[in-house]
Amino acid sequence: MHIELMQYGVLLMAFAMVAAKRFSALVTSFTIQSFLLFILTLSEAIKTGSTQLYILAVLIFAIKVIGIPVFLGRITKKIKVPDEMGLYVNTTLSIIIAALLSGISYYFIRNFLPSMEKEAGIALIIALSVTLIGLFIMIFRIKALAQVVGLLIMENGIFLAGASITGGIPFFVEIAVSFDVFIAVMILGVFVYRINSLFTHIDVDKLNELKG
Amino acid sequence: MEIVIVFIALLLSGGVSFFIKNGKKGGMITLGGQIVAGIFSLLLCARTSGGTALAVLNFFYVDGLTAFFLFLISISSMATAFYSLWYFKDDENTGFYNFLFNIFVFSMYFVVTVNNLGMMWMAVEITTLSSAFLVGYRNNKTAVEAAWKYVIICSVGITLALFGIILFYYTGLTQAGIKSLNWTQLNAAGNFLDPMVVKAALIFIIVGFGTKAGLAPMHNWLPDAHSQAPTPISALLSGALLKVSLYAIIRFMIISSKSVGFSFCGNILGLFGIISLAVAAFFMLVQKDIKRLLAYSSVEHMGIISMGFYFGGKTGVFGALFHTLNHAAAKSLMFFSSGVIIKKYGTNNMHQIKGALEVLPFAASAAFLGMFAVAGLPPFSIFMSEFTVLYAGFKGGFYFSSSAVLVFLAIIFGALIYHFSGMIYGKKPSEMFRIKESLGITVLFGVMLIVLLALGLHIPEFVNTLIDSASNVIFGVE
Repeated sequence: MHIELMQYGVLLMAFAMVAAKRFSALVTSFTIQSFLLFILTLSEAIKTGSTQLYILAVLIFAIKVIGIPVFLGRITKKIKVPDEMGLYVNTTLSIIIAALLSGISYYFIRNFLPSMEKEAGIALIIALSVTLIGLFIMIFRIKALAQVVGLLIMENGIFLAGASITGGIPFFVEIAVSFDVFIAVMILGVFVYRINSLFTHIDVDKLNELKG
Repeated sequence: MEIVIVFIALLLSGGVSFFIKNGKKGGMITLGGQIVAGIFSLLLCARTSGGTALAVLNFFYVDGLTAFFLFLISISSMATAFYSLWYFKDDENTGFYNFLFNIFVFSMYFVVTVNNLGMMWMAVEITTLSSAFLVGYRNNKTAVEAAWKYVIICSVGITLALFGIILFYYTGLTQAGIKSLNWTQLNAAGNFLDPMVVKAALIFIIVGFGTKAGLAPMHNWLPDAHSQAPTPISALLSGALLKVSLYAIIRFMIISSKSVGFSFCGNILGLFGIISLAVAAFFMLVQKDIKRLLAYSSVEHMGIISMGFYFGGKTGVFGALFHTLNHAAAKSLMFFSSGVIIKKYGTNNMHQIKGALEVLPFAASAAFLGMFAVAGLPPFSIFMSEFTVLYAGFKGGFYFSSSAVLVFLAIIFGALIYHFSGMIYGKKPSEMFRIKESLGITVLFGVMLIVLLALGLHIPEFVNTLIDSASNVIFGVE
């Protein structure tokens, strides 16, 4: 029961991120969402007693709950840009779109995977919704840092999808993926610095010198 | 064992060249690393291209399809390292470039040799991450913009692909009880997979890896990245990286063919292929920047390769694979020779480049002949592979889409002739004088042109074997 609750919590945090207007709020929601994933993995580890899941839980905690939020916090402090993210679509409309995306995920999973058992099905629907919401945030938020967080949200969704399958995807793949995400965020962080120092802003809608 | 040596050689040359300040010395070490890695991967090719599959350390898996891509990567990386040596001959502090170059090539070798599909996913992501700083190497406004778009768009694509991989794992686990993402195991159980799940997974995988393969409409990163990267990197992106992403799609296509048939995957590829051709034709007509022109031409050729898989059958797949090889050779030649011209004229703008034949006779002739090769004129080999793909299309009854391909090819041919004749002929700017061209680079151009010509006239036995054994893997022929 409580596992299902956690999963809904992950979805709720995705909606909170859609509603967020400030970057700090976005990072806070992301941290809570990652924390929920940590609890999910930990409870699975306790249930099965698998060492690999314990290691994975520790890794999630170290990378996603502490490492990445601290790193993002440091960047925002250093580059001194306003906390507002800049929305292409206002909060109300964003939430409606996010709800629509969840509906699409429901429709997609129910149609393509009708044979799936109920619990796993719900988890997969939530996972796909979170992934699509992450994509939405990447496209419809102006600041470069919001795109980084959007990518992380997508990855959280994928992680939930992997975890919702009985037994989870193979351990070393999971490790490799988290490691990859960590490197990606580092590299994107460096580019945010570079964009800020070359353009004196981090608005991706103004990155439009190259076209055609 | 060869495969281990390949990786060690690349890591070593990457690690050592990182600390070399002098551009020439660092370039030599990188070239040495590529040659050692290339020779050993060619040895591996020779061993496996007959159709024998090798499993190394229970982690790597090399079969005919891998051999084909190993051949492609090794030749491209060796040629590009050689060209880099010339390109950065006057630069200091190229340690970072050489280091990333080696890691980039390393990750491409890794993608095609690893057996586990999850690790393959990771390796594709590493190709993006390691080449991100190569694309943004110049560190000016446009380069950083291009690199940013490159990492963001490709990472999004690849994340979607991961969702597809998880769905594959799910159906493998529930239908066949496989607790692994090894390609060999999933492929062996291909018949048991749930067709609906496989279809859903394939949509994510083709869109995801297709982004990296430069298929329109997910191609937006490609012209930016190709135009802003240093020229050797543009050549490597076009010649090897795009194909490596296609390799990932092919691997999943093989597994899925047993439950949903080739047509499902083929139809999606065909849709993206024809869109790619249309988009490329339009943007090539109106293009001003020479490297963007070549980048859109890569979109076009990836479209043709996709059409080959769409038309399918032995002929279509043969054409697609042969085209993969030809495009790598022709596009590398184009980027290399245009790079020489761009370096001399100091601009990418085609309207400002005039009379290149007078200033740089060898590079300009190579570019002009290479342009005919890229446009698919006989007797160059691209004509042969395009012809094979179209033949498969008309024979398979795809009259409408094959004719559409022909129309787009005609438009693109016109666009290329128009743009290049302006640059090659015309009156040279009065302040430009003919300069002495590097002998090594001229020889490289000559060799590449001869290869393109020779492949067009006659396909040598070993190339034939390579393509045949790759297509045997695709069709599951033992």
